[in-house]
Amino acid sequence: MDAQQLESEARNGPDIAPTRSPEPSTRGSSVSESRRSQLLSIADSALGYMSLEDMLSELLERIRSSLEVDTAAVLLLDEDRGVLVARAARGLEEEVRQGVQVPLSRGFAGRVAAEARPIIIEDLDHAEVVNPILRQKGIRSMLGVPVHVEGRVIGVMHIGTLVLRHFDEDDVTLLQLAADRAALAIDNARVSEQRAVTEIMQRTLLPDTLPQIPGMRFSAKYLPAGSGIKVGGDWYDVFQLANGRVAFVIGDVVGRGVLAASVMAEIRTALRAYMAQGHKLAEVVSMLNDLLVSMGRSRGATLSILELDPEAEELEAVTAGHLPPLLIEPDGETRLLEQTHGLPVGVRTGHSYQACRYPFPTGSRLLLYTDGLIERREESIDEGFRRLTTAAHAAAQRTDSSFADRVYRSLLDETPLEDDVALLAVETAPLEDTLDITLPARPNVLGGLRNTLGRWLRAVGAQENELFDIALSASEAATNAIEHAYGARQASFTVRCEYDGQQVIVTVRDTGRWRTTRPQGGGRGLQIMRSLADSVEVNSDEDGTIVTIAKRLSHQA
Amino acid sequence: MSALDIERIDGVPIAHVSEDLDAANAATVQRQLTDTLGPDASTLIVDLSDTRYLDSAGIDMVLRLSDRLDHRRAKLILVIPDTSQLKRLAEIVGLSDAIPIHPTLPAALHEAANPQTQTATPPGTRTAGSSNA
Repeated sequence: MDAQQLESEARNGPDIAPTRSPEPSTRGSSVSESRRSQLLSIADSALGYMSLEDMLSELLERIRSSLEVDTAAVLLLDEDRGVLVARAARGLEEEVRQGVQVPLSRGFAGRVAAEARPIIIEDLDHAEVVNPILRQKGIRSMLGVPVHVEGRVIGVMHIGTLVLRHFDEDDVTLLQLAADRAALAIDNARVSEQRAVTEIMQRTLLPDTLPQIPGMRFSAKYLPAGSGIKVGGDWYDVFQLANGRVAFVIGDVVGRGVLAASVMAEIRTALRAYMAQGHKLAEVVSMLNDLLVSMGRSRGATLSILELDPEAEELEAVTAGHLPPLLIEPDGETRLLEQTHGLPVGVRTGHSYQACRYPFPTGSRLLLYTDGLIERREESIDEGFRRLTTAAHAAAQRTDSSFADRVYRSLLDETPLEDDVALLAVETAPLEDTLDITLPARPNVLGGLRNTLGRWLRAVGAQENELFDIALSASEAATNAIEHAYGARQASFTVRCEYDGQQVIVTVRDTGRWRTTRPQGGGRGLQIMRSLADSVEVNSDEDGTIVTIAKRLSHQA
Repeated sequence: MSALDIERIDGVPIAHVSEDLDAANAATVQRQLTDTLGPDASTLIVDLSDTRYLDSAGIDMVLRLSDRLDHRRAKLILVIPDTSQLKRLAEIVGLSDAIPIHPTLPAALHEAANPQTQTATPPGTRTAGSSNA
């Protein structure tokens, strides 16, 4: 994102203003010898091994003695606030201590930055100056040059004298040389700083483990492009909701670097919060959009959010300006889930989003990705979709690594990355005949457990009422297991489901003991289990409690 | 979990519950339902037509809510369609003996508007004397 980039309209090369043209050097022929040593002192490669602070300080000191001036300072541009901030100074140390800030276009340094050219002030008494320290110090003449990287102004370097001084062309050239030397170091330091912060944010923000849900497999890839501050706008997320449905998100915040990563963190948190509150998918995206606009986020984002009900085998999707997810049906047919109405989020308030539903039978696969996966220079997007579809087909035939990895490798293996790539793959497979589930002892897993049991029971041929009776009984046993674990941090419990062709047996095991006296509700859970199942056995010993629930199915395999 | 969609018909607050009620959300939903009633309403209709599972924690919550409304001289009415699995469950655990349950929203609104004429309520309705205390 370059929204706040400074437009450099100035011509290159020294253009001295406001009152006079540069004069030829007046220091005669001996100058060339001293110039040589000045240049050497500035170009000294030893400067490259110092920290940025030390390097700037040393460079300014060398400039001060070479050019025989009293002050030298560097101010760096804070692009987001549009101000120059004093970063290093010699003879003007107050400037840094007080954190002097000069708005762009104003004052001496502000003009140097805005006009991107050297400026000379012959006599400070007759010039506009924002920084009061310059006057307090009694500075009379000043020369400032822009510090730029790749044609973009990132700051200003200026020198000053306490007596009137005519800065000439040689002074300008030498100071510009020093500024260029500083630019390199500043840029390197910034890049590694940004990269470090962004990488930490990425690591924190991308899920470190993907959820474990029986009959579902997730795989993901995240690859930051090349180097430096180009890292950071893409993300993905997967989480299971308390009702058992599973949400998938992929998105791309406009821009790169720490700011893009922080907007991505806001979006991720807002989506998780709205989803947890039980809002419908389209509503969630509308709320997120309004939130981002109201927070004045100048960076928009594209995203796709999908919600899968594994038991109902149904997928709901909302796309906000993002590339369409690819659905691969069990028979290998592919389908781009295109939606035309969804604007990127954070752009226009009040936009309403629409959800589309798609069947997602067992054996279906889904690919969510960002543009870096398929977009190539000098190639139409349709060509990109075609390659994606081919890669997905090929990947579906193999099993040598994760699905995301196979798709990624067949698309990008030999191509250098031009952009970040995030890729999330979802696959569903039939549940095992004997289902074994281990769950953390937390109440918010109950919905997911009932959803998985529903899927399994449907597969073994249970009728609607049998499915309800068994799933609710198992859920009651699980609630008890969770209550026993109260206070234990890493506690978990297991559920095993078996069908012998006649009856379903669900075994719920925990490592706690059933309380004989229960606070409220009495044994209502047990009463429900006994009423709905054919038989319920509870066995407790010092290792824990095992509940065995059995029920015959009317339709028998 | 905000699984509630609130509407008012003729001043009667109706909470449509779209999610399961279980140990994970019972306490939150109870608080939200209590807030829904408001200071002056005398009836709260809780519509469980779109609720798939109601576990023992959910049932306990509904009974506690009913008790609390009793103290405020207000009444809780449930809507559970005859085709819902919850209908069977409500009978097994005795919920239908403690709280009036109607198969449709119009039937529930009818009882809300005519608290004295319980016998005129449509089939599928059971009311218990205790809920009208």
